[in-house]
Amino acid sequence: MLVIDGVSKVFGTTRAVDKVSVSIPAGQFVGVIGRSGAGKSTLLRMINRLAEPTEGRITLNGADVTALTGRELRDWRRRCAMIFQQFNLVGRLDVLNNVLMGRLSHTSPWRAFPRLWSREDRAIALSALDQMDIAGLAAQRAEDLSGGQQQRVAICRALVQEPEIILADEPVASLDPRNAKIVMDALLRINKHFGLTVLCNLHSLDLARTYCDRLVGMAQGRVVFDDVPEALTESVARELYGMEAHEVLDADLGPGLMSPVPVSAAA
Amino acid sequence: MSERRLEIPRYGWRTHGPGFAMIAVLLLLYAGGLTLLEINPARLITGFARLGDIVMLMLPPTPETWSRFLVYLDALGQTLAIAFLGTLTAAILGLPLGFLAARNIVTSRIIHFLARRGLDTVRSVDTLIWALIWINVVGLGPFAGALAIASSDVCALAKLMSEAIETADRRPVEGIMASGGTRAEAIRFGILPQIMPVFASQILYYIESNTRSATIIGIVGAGGIGMHLSEQIRVLEWQQAAFIILMVLITVAIIDAISRVLRRNIIGRA
Repeated sequence: MLVIDGVSKVFGTTRAVDKVSVSIPAGQFVGVIGRSGAGKSTLLRMINRLAEPTEGRITLNGADVTALTGRELRDWRRRCAMIFQQFNLVGRLDVLNNVLMGRLSHTSPWRAFPRLWSREDRAIALSALDQMDIAGLAAQRAEDLSGGQQQRVAICRALVQEPEIILADEPVASLDPRNAKIVMDALLRINKHFGLTVLCNLHSLDLARTYCDRLVGMAQGRVVFDDVPEALTESVARELYGMEAHEVLDADLGPGLMSPVPVSAAA
Repeated sequence: MSERRLEIPRYGWRTHGPGFAMIAVLLLLYAGGLTLLEINPARLITGFARLGDIVMLMLPPTPETWSRFLVYLDALGQTLAIAFLGTLTAAILGLPLGFLAARNIVTSRIIHFLARRGLDTVRSVDTLIWALIWINVVGLGPFAGALAIASSDVCALAKLMSEAIETADRRPVEGIMASGGTRAEAIRFGILPQIMPVFASQILYYIESNTRSATIIGIVGAGGIGMHLSEQIRVLEWQQAAFIILMVLITVAIIDAISRVLRRNIIGRA
């Protein structure tokens, strides 16, 4: 059970995340939804401790992770793997080495620095790639891959960390619909086969409804909705997304303001 | 939707004045410099005649004897060694210094400020001046030459590297930190692969340009072919001087060609 207890993040005078409390049982697939700037990303980054909470506690199975430092902090980060919108791979390294970055916390610096990965680690990385159907790309440079392939490499990097939780920050926002489906299917498979908890920030309501067991809606840093996807009515969605509602509820709202605007030039 | 009116930009003294003023100022400065140094076009014309005489004296370039040629070849090898050792020393010291001077690596403002100012200060002293200093410290010869090249380039390289490090994409670093990597590992795997192509191609460029520098510092006594060149000019052996200049030109051209091939390969791969 991952418990987020009264967690806030203050940037200057704005409260990006405002006293959020959510409990997530192991193995759940949770979608965090809301408009851009609602605090979804900051919340996920605080769990991984890429951002420090201003107040509140985060615990996993009763153990406080908010104050960890050094070796313990790195082990915590290993246990809650992060997936980013922009993949955050090392573009100039090959795919296999990118996946092996997920083995850093299992490897001594003396072996890691000259990239003397053990045979076992290389096998683990390759089989992770194979599960994502991209073992054939192992020797290619990460930056030469398509967005969808890069995100699958990033998922492999997360998997070889042997994590308990996957934190995915807008994992499909930079991808086309077909690749978005491939990546979301992969996350779902990880969740169902390995029983990993998945916490996934999503902008698209459609995807959130399709894949998640539970939706947490955020607005202005606060949790304003927390229930099964079926409970998310259109009026709640409109409230959540405000002006952006037509983007996520495209089916109901028609083409919107797409007609060309006449322009007259002054002499 | 309300009707929009597009304003056509007005051009006049307000927009174009500063550009014209800048050109006028530059022309004035140029004319000022000419009068200040009492430069007389007539002297330039007579000078051209002398230059022609010297060129005639240079023809044909020849080392006179085979033993002289071997002496020059040996000196040229020395010049290359000075350039190579000097550049490599600068590179070995410059990379860590570059990290020290990068704002995103060293967060302490004081260390960053001191490193930057220190690099700028040392960098502003030219190789030739370093050569004169080192000759007094370690004596005449190639050792002083290599030290001179190392001291002037270590800071230039460090500054270039610190800029490359600061503009490196920070997302890979974040990715590695988020996987449980240490800061050192994040730098090793997140930043180093991004700056290595810049580093390697800069080293190649410096070896190339330092072959020329090593020739010049030879003239003040820091070893290598430059020593022979200045000697031959002093005793007015123009044909031999021309031969030495030709040897240097060919060498630089060869190094240029080699480094172009290497650079293309480095930027192409990892």
